[in-house]
Amino acid sequence: MDHFPTNWGRPRNDGFDAYGTYPIAQRPYNGLGNDVFSEGVQRTQQPIVTGTSVLAIKYKDGVMMSADNLASYGSLARFKDIQRLHPVGTNTIIGAGGDMSDFQYIQALLDDLMVEEFTEGDGDGHALGPGEIHEYLSQVMYARRSKMDPLWNSLIVGGVKDGKRFLSYVDLLGTTYSASTLATGYGSYIAQPLLRKAVEGNEDNITEEEAVKILEQSMKVLFYRDARSLNKYQIAKITSDGVAISESRSVDTQWSFADGIRGYGAQTQ
Amino acid sequence: MPDMVTLSYPSPSSKPQQRQFNPYSENGGTILAISGADFSVIAGDTRQSEGYSIQTRYAPKVFRLTDNAVLAVNGFAADGNMFVKQVRQRLEWYRHAHAKDMPLRAIARLIQTMLYARRFFPYYVYNILGGIEEDGSGAVYSFDPVGSYERESCRAAGAAQSLVQPFLDNQIYFKNQVALPGHPHPQHLPLLTVIQLVIDSFTSATERHIEVGDGLEMFIVLAKGSPLYGVENIAGVQEMTVTNEGERIFVVRRNLKRD
Amino acid sequence: MTSIGTGYDLSASTYSPDGRIFQVEYANKAVENSGQDLSRSTAIGLRVKDGIILAVEKLVHSKLLIPEANRRIQTLDRHLGLATAGLLADGRQLANKARDESANFRDSFRSPAPVKYIADRLGSYIQVYTLYSSVRPFGISTIIGGVDQDGPSLFVIEPSGVFFGYHGAAVGKGRQLAKTELEKLKLSDLSMRQAVLEAARIIYLVHDDSKEKTFELEMSWVGNDTNGLHVPVPKDLLSEAEQKAKAALEDFE
Repeated sequence: MDHFPTNWGRPRNDGFDAYGTYPIAQRPYNGLGNDVFSEGVQRTQQPIVTGTSVLAIKYKDGVMMSADNLASYGSLARFKDIQRLHPVGTNTIIGAGGDMSDFQYIQALLDDLMVEEFTEGDGDGHALGPGEIHEYLSQVMYARRSKMDPLWNSLIVGGVKDGKRFLSYVDLLGTTYSASTLATGYGSYIAQPLLRKAVEGNEDNITEEEAVKILEQSMKVLFYRDARSLNKYQIAKITSDGVAISESRSVDTQWSFADGIRGYGAQTQ
Repeated sequence: MPDMVTLSYPSPSSKPQQRQFNPYSENGGTILAISGADFSVIAGDTRQSEGYSIQTRYAPKVFRLTDNAVLAVNGFAADGNMFVKQVRQRLEWYRHAHAKDMPLRAIARLIQTMLYARRFFPYYVYNILGGIEEDGSGAVYSFDPVGSYERESCRAAGAAQSLVQPFLDNQIYFKNQVALPGHPHPQHLPLLTVIQLVIDSFTSATERHIEVGDGLEMFIVLAKGSPLYGVENIAGVQEMTVTNEGERIFVVRRNLKRD
Repeated sequence: MTSIGTGYDLSASTYSPDGRIFQVEYANKAVENSGQDLSRSTAIGLRVKDGIILAVEKLVHSKLLIPEANRRIQTLDRHLGLATAGLLADGRQLANKARDESANFRDSFRSPAPVKYIADRLGSYIQVYTLYSSVRPFGISTIIGGVDQDGPSLFVIEPSGVFFGYHGAAVGKGRQLAKTELEKLKLSDLSMRQAVLEAARIIYLVHDDSKEKTFELEMSWVGNDTNGLHVPVPKDLLSEAEQKAKAALEDFE
């Protein structure tokens, strides 16, 4: 039987590889525009002004997160002083990639939520921590994807509450997961392997200085390889002392090697 | 008219390009359940992936619902988590209304109803429900994403279904095995044999399928009054139930290869 | 109350021949002594250089009540607080309305609502309840205080819906005495801490020991000392203020 619901009710596709005998890259195309939703359903938006990767790791004292200050308009580096790390309350920071107007909407949602907590809770001793913020965001993101009107973001939620570190991800599909290293967008391909090598199994030993180094190194690699990135970024840390977001900073880069590259673009000799 | 500019219609195949939002994704992994005479084993790996990327090495796919029911979900992780959340809420309402846990076969029927209710925007999730029936027998129910279901003795689902199910057919149902005269195949296998089959299934699937690996989480449900069958001696076993009055649930966690 | 019994006091939608709306006047009575223990209390507000102090004399009508239950000062937004004298339940309803208004303002303009805007919206809301025979006017006088772009401001809204801004405000049963005391103060010269002490003193002074049962002093503040947040006055400062208030009272007597 064809186990892909998106193919049901359509003429059988003999090219479909029902038993997964081909490597993923060679499987017959069953993705976008090739399913029952390709006609007669609500068309959705697309991201316009976008942010690229967010990186985050757990370390000895808490969680550290970084994101650059660029909001791109397609391939145009449109806004170069955008903050993509956003504090929520005193224990949580969220980092956002994807559509920046959707992110600003999310910031407004969270602000409303925190005001509501402040006025109605009125010092009841319960504060929303990173876990609660993440659960709230995943419900919002999943509800919007189910309306076929997604908030086009990948979000990382990090924090420390009651001495426990928290680091989790949620995206426009409502997909969630947590791990000791997280990266969105291009960072999930380029930086995540570096982060895992440095952090996995070492979460309780990495000092603040080491954590900063790990993120700096990863941001540098991303700046070299991700054409939608900017050498101007911020690092945020969340410890039991609260949240702190750094001023914008940059890393030293070396481009002289580029002259020696042959075989691409204009220079072929 | 050679010097006239012709505005040609686009060829019929080139429809206007538009990015369409696809509300689904596949997050890999495999789940598996086998029932015995008075027990049931439900297992899943803990890797969550998308394409070639591992998102996390630990994302549970197997969930304890009650003292006698365990649900494994596989497919689109966001749908899976939401579905489990909703099933759990319905079970809680049932407890409030009837002051007892919902029986296994009723949970199975509930799951079919909940899945079919979303027939035209399905939860892209394969469910396998394992546990103990009211008559004390071990049971496994398997579902497709829109609610077709049946009770079986064993079922694998997910990325490595096509690798694991044939192995189970051979080892549990003795397919393609001819019994010696006077030595018929057993109706039910002992628990430790089943556990070994489950572990072997996952090590093999890990070896041959890129979406399977990292960790194995295996729930064992024992019928009321059943002996422990040596479960207590398995390394790292952990009991999840608090009394040994009724059914008992144990969980075993193993590492799988991370490559 | 010579006009009682003439029939013009049964509905808020009808004037009396001499141009009064009795239901609104009765609502004002309800603020100070409706006969229910709960509602007989005094609330004051102080606008000083760096912030606002709200204080309420909350009568405790039963020893079985949990201390600090049934708060009369409520938080409307990060920078806004509200104190009421009168029917407690009406105060809650008004606070919820105010929270909605404040949230809506924030959604529309991405900035915290000015205190005057909230006072205006609440005034209009309360006024609507003086127009129809099918509803009852609010049985509360409200002090709303907060800090916005233009600094601290303080307003009082009456059951008629009318509102005025004040440097110092008092509503409820003991308002006359409280006003007299407030007038003696150089409000614009006080620090927030000094204002807290003065507020406590006035509430203790206003409280009528011979007639009333025990009471709780409830105080909140918003301003420079609180980082612009409307929060309860911290425990230690509150008890210091209470002690000094009691001492001052003994000197007075």
